[in-house]
Amino acid sequence: MKAEYAVETARLEKIYRSRFRGREVKAVANLTVRVPVGVKFGLLGPNGAGKTTFVKMLLSAVNPTSGAATIFGRDAREPEARRPVGYLPENHRFPTYLTGSGMLDFYSALSGMEERQRRRRAAELLELVGLKDWGDVRIKKYSKGMLQRLGLAQALMHEPRLLVLDEPTDGVDPVGRRDIRRILNDLTGSGVTIFINSHLLSEVESFCEYVAILNKGHLALEGKISSLVGGRGYRIGATGVPAEAMEEIRRSGASIFPGAQMDEFQVATREEANETIDRLRAAGGLIESVTASNTSLEDVFIQTTSSERAA
Amino acid sequence: MNESLNRSHNSVWLALISDTFQEARARWLFWGLFGLSSLLVGIFLFVLRIDVVQGAVSFMGIESTERPIYNIQKFVNVSYSWVSIVLYIWGTFLAVFASSGLIPSVLEAGRISLLLSKPITRTTLLMGRFAGNLAVVGLNHIYLICSIWIIIGLKTGIWAPRFLLAIPISLFIFSVLLCAVVLVGVISESAALSVMVAVALMLISTILAQRQIVVKLLDSQWSRDLWLGFYWIIPKVYDFGVAMKDIILYDRNADWISPAWTSALFGIAVLSGAIYIFRRRDF
Repeated sequence: MKAEYAVETARLEKIYRSRFRGREVKAVANLTVRVPVGVKFGLLGPNGAGKTTFVKMLLSAVNPTSGAATIFGRDAREPEARRPVGYLPENHRFPTYLTGSGMLDFYSALSGMEERQRRRRAAELLELVGLKDWGDVRIKKYSKGMLQRLGLAQALMHEPRLLVLDEPTDGVDPVGRRDIRRILNDLTGSGVTIFINSHLLSEVESFCEYVAILNKGHLALEGKISSLVGGRGYRIGATGVPAEAMEEIRRSGASIFPGAQMDEFQVATREEANETIDRLRAAGGLIESVTASNTSLEDVFIQTTSSERAA
Repeated sequence: MNESLNRSHNSVWLALISDTFQEARARWLFWGLFGLSSLLVGIFLFVLRIDVVQGAVSFMGIESTERPIYNIQKFVNVSYSWVSIVLYIWGTFLAVFASSGLIPSVLEAGRISLLLSKPITRTTLLMGRFAGNLAVVGLNHIYLICSIWIIIGLKTGIWAPRFLLAIPISLFIFSVLLCAVVLVGVISESAALSVMVAVALMLISTILAQRQIVVKLLDSQWSRDLWLGFYWIIPKVYDFGVAMKDIILYDRNADWISPAWTSALFGIAVLSGAIYIFRRRDF
């Protein structure tokens, strides 16, 4: 059966306990996120929001305390679930004793690729990321930007269906950033889902279609970027909205800001605002406010994280 | 389908083992191990060139043909057995030092998260590294012991194939100690602590092996039981060395079975513990 979501989590939670004092820190709390297949999805959040913990739970480097995560409908804890995933970690430490080609070969062998296929693909990708002449050079000679590009090649080696990139342009110069964006843009339309974890709002705003903002370990906002930014939009506040209706509205493309007092729904056009209001009322929700807005992703981010802070 | 899965499984194991080799080579461990083994081989060659030794060998050779006051075959076998002990201690110490860093290095943040994102189980990852370590040390043991065997064989004209049993025996005891190195590495990520524990096990095993003397000296039953309890739990590095010497000497009474199974049990228990902890850890 074809999965609807590349990534789907349900009430995912991670609590770290200190070994001796028994103190608890909730790194990720009750997180439910859905990333549709084939989209470009950005995960934002201030430092310590739980973004990397969330990604590591998806890729089984961190064991969740509770909740579930699936990748293309398969339990993320199963090794086979990770076969279609290409991953570029943040602060990676590739083995410096390997050459560029050797590194690509090693990681793709772990992904189950055959030798002949690995050799062909490594040559292609080294050329794609501009490291054609560096394939036989040991990684310890590479600059930070070159390592990042090599890391991207590594993530693309086995032609993944889901690409998870943690701070992909970290340490890369502007030209390198443009090149990385170009490579990722070329994947658009190929059905590859791109999941970017970044603190660079402009990068996410210019590249991604969907965004989720994490704050203090929980989901502060999730939705389509086009309905959050880019000219005028409308924000509707409502109370008493059932979960099914929330899900239906999310599917229609609205962004949802869950709140303690009331839930807010951000849409891009007047028509969408009216449709959303109709849906909310039909589901038994009470409209509390409707306001016109004109925001950038930075405004949304600051508003979301600062209101959370105040709460 | 099954064939392609098997191929992919094999390529994972090969990649993990070859990566351990490459890392050992890059960290100079591989060259250090082989360099020090070559040094021992060189010392051995030099010792055999000393007049006293050369004279003794010639003397034994001549006398054995005319007047067999001493059995040359037995003399060489005794030499082989003592040499095997030296190689056993030397090889095991070197191997423990050389492999101590190979588990902690793979657990470095930024490296382990990428490895864990691949479609392999954590058990495969750890066991691949374990197998790689064994392969590096196994190659060194083969080189060291075969070189010495060839040298003694050429010098005396007597070839004792049983001497080569020192390879699997030394490798077996190293693999048991490696299990402890892996467990400490997984818990503490410290190469130094891994070495300390492995060397401590070797020394403790030597002390505990003197059980027949110590048990007579201990004044209470519980302390005797405690000593014996520890003796049975700790891998028997010392007893195994003694057993190896006896096996090479064709001693039919060589007691190797109980040191073998108790040490193997220790290794299996410790390695299972390491796998369990590794599977539960967050990185």
